[in-house]
Amino acid sequence: MSKQPEQELIDIRAGRDLSVLDLISVDPLTDDDITLIFDIARKFRDFETHKFDLNKNRSMVNVFFENSTRTMSSFDLAGKNLSMDTTSISSSSSVKKGESYIDTAQTLDSYNVKALIVRTSESGASEMIARHVKAAVLNAGDGWHEHPTQALLDALTILDHYDVTDMKDKIVTIVGDIRHSRVFGSMVRLFNKLGATIRVAAPQTLLPMHADKFGVEIFYDVEDALKDAHVVYALRVQEERGSNGYIPTLREYSKMYGITRKRLDLANDKALLMHPGPVRRDVDVHSALVTMDEQSHILRQVENGMAVRKSLLWLLCNRNDGKTKDAVKL
Amino acid sequence: MTSILIKNAHVIDPFNKINGKCHIFIQNGKIAAVGKDISNKADQEIDARGLTLTPGLIDMQVHFREPGREDKETIETGAQACLAGGITSAVAMPNTTPAADNQTVIEFMVNRAAEIDLINLYPTGAITKGQDGAQLSEINELKNAGAIAITDDGYDVQDEGVLRRALEYAKTTNMLLMSHCETNSLTGDGVMHEGWVSTQLGLAGTPAESETLAVHKNIMLANMAGDARLHLLHNSTAGAITAIRAAKKLGQKNLTAEVSVQHFSLTDEECFGYNTNAKMYPPLRSKEHVDAIIAGIKDGTVDALTTDHAPHTLSDKQKPFADAAMGSTGVETSFAVMNTYLVEAGHIDLNHGISLMTNKPAEILGIDKGTLSVGADADIALFNLNHKWAVDGTKGFSKGHNCVFNGKELTGKCVMTIHNGAIKYRDGEILV
Repeated sequence: MSKQPEQELIDIRAGRDLSVLDLISVDPLTDDDITLIFDIARKFRDFETHKFDLNKNRSMVNVFFENSTRTMSSFDLAGKNLSMDTTSISSSSSVKKGESYIDTAQTLDSYNVKALIVRTSESGASEMIARHVKAAVLNAGDGWHEHPTQALLDALTILDHYDVTDMKDKIVTIVGDIRHSRVFGSMVRLFNKLGATIRVAAPQTLLPMHADKFGVEIFYDVEDALKDAHVVYALRVQEERGSNGYIPTLREYSKMYGITRKRLDLANDKALLMHPGPVRRDVDVHSALVTMDEQSHILRQVENGMAVRKSLLWLLCNRNDGKTKDAVKL
Repeated sequence: MTSILIKNAHVIDPFNKINGKCHIFIQNGKIAAVGKDISNKADQEIDARGLTLTPGLIDMQVHFREPGREDKETIETGAQACLAGGITSAVAMPNTTPAADNQTVIEFMVNRAAEIDLINLYPTGAITKGQDGAQLSEINELKNAGAIAITDDGYDVQDEGVLRRALEYAKTTNMLLMSHCETNSLTGDGVMHEGWVSTQLGLAGTPAESETLAVHKNIMLANMAGDARLHLLHNSTAGAITAIRAAKKLGQKNLTAEVSVQHFSLTDEECFGYNTNAKMYPPLRSKEHVDAIIAGIKDGTVDALTTDHAPHTLSDKQKPFADAAMGSTGVETSFAVMNTYLVEAGHIDLNHGISLMTNKPAEILGIDKGTLSVGADADIALFNLNHKWAVDGTKGFSKGHNCVFNGKELTGKCVMTIHNGAIKYRDGEILV
């Protein structure tokens, strides 16, 4: 009886592997990689919280040098659903005692874990750690750079909502603190690969230099940016990542860029309202829209997050091709 | 004292306008004769056929870390690294621990360098006490102790009033003031050049205007002080070059500018992969700035080429990019970088490049070096211009292995370095 769900997953996978051994950035993912991740994630989603033994005898560590609620719990439950032994480190005390990230990561790697889920406040730290450990590193957010699993779960949400396999005639409008957003960093890379038209609405202070080179259209007026959009993606104003001083007040920001019912009505009738969380109600998005509105997919995003992370943990910790990493020892 | 006759080298001495095959006779530590027909008997004869001979190179900006951070570099290892790059004179920055804001540190450096006797070391003193930009150091005392110039280096004096008084005091004492130009409030948390690459990497950027604005300010205040001797360190932006060119054209005297060799050869794309060896101050800039720097070298706006040699321990570099130490080593590669990226690339001829590393910096510093004039100290470098080599920081003499050119192929290598008439380096070995 319990064999059947496993077999369904194995059948869907059909012996396929990802082209990458870590997931640091969206950049190196091929079209086949993205298809594979989503094929498997959808099947995991069908089985909800079913306990699989696909990753049994494999362990993982959540290494969160920066705090997290949803990403860490999502990865942790995803691992446990696959029968992995999991443990977590948050805001590492050893690093506070002066140990380097690399030494901490190599210590954890010595437990022969299959995956390290790494979040840091510094851009590039996951990539650096990945070079020095045998375990697959899954970037759970590095500074202002990338947060690839968030972008993948968002893409899955959008594709399934519109029942399409790419975003070719879709307009995605991203509103808010682009400069300090690793979610934007991964999203813009992934949605470009999927063929979306991407608009960005923010004050210039919250845009990084040459953001247009990502292939996005920039708007200072959020209402212009929202017209006919298929996806409205609000990003949080991130005080803890330096938005302080980039805007005069939250009050004014909310009036200029907050997503209200009236503004959402400028978008396409079926438009999805999305947010990576945590939402600052009434600043980023009007409170009544967050969870109640039928256009809001903020909680649907969370469900897809579990499925995508299960998919990635299975693909990266349990390869058919037997490929392994070379860790550079220091 | 022994005598050495070096025969058949291609000699380049920009100061004396020599650029051709001739012989050099060295006696009692001095250049005794230069010419095509030298019949003097020498204790040692060197056939340098196929090699290029130049005055020993002068590097106006190095960090030797001693006193204070001898784990990163010492005056001895720094000097050895210089010799391996053909450098016989180096100007040491004052950001030691303690800072060189007093006679004691200057005297220590002068004495230590004399004891080691490998190269000529010229320490600089700090403009302000503790390099904190507030109270002027005893500039005349520093000069008397042996400081060749004053600079707060990486801690650019932010307060215009203090900078004005420092320049006026430099004018009074005929000291050279060297400025690292930066506007702290524009730099903010920046850890690399602000541009498309920093955006892709998600790293906080330092805009070019942080440097350019400070260059304008420094030029203006030096002019106000009666054209005080102002030397602008490691210029990296198009705007800085434009400002310096304009001020020189307007007739401002005693204004000189250098470029560190990495800033005409590499762009901010070296930072991809979070390569911390490419993290430095000022940062590697984007291509339009590199092109403007090269134009400034070609038209004479730039007076000297330097390294900003900044050795670090591995653990200071093996960090997330934002936390890693800033700087690259450079004294063992600077000649080859100049030769590869300026001469081979067709921007300038070798004579011009050598000039920017010999007689021109000597002129700025006011030292009797950088020439092969008869009677001058016999500081000489010999290079093999055909030698192509891949840089490997772990193989050098510097304690720092953090070279931004690691893995790159360069053309031209120093084969022998003579300091005060004695061969101190030959074919990869320090000879003492």
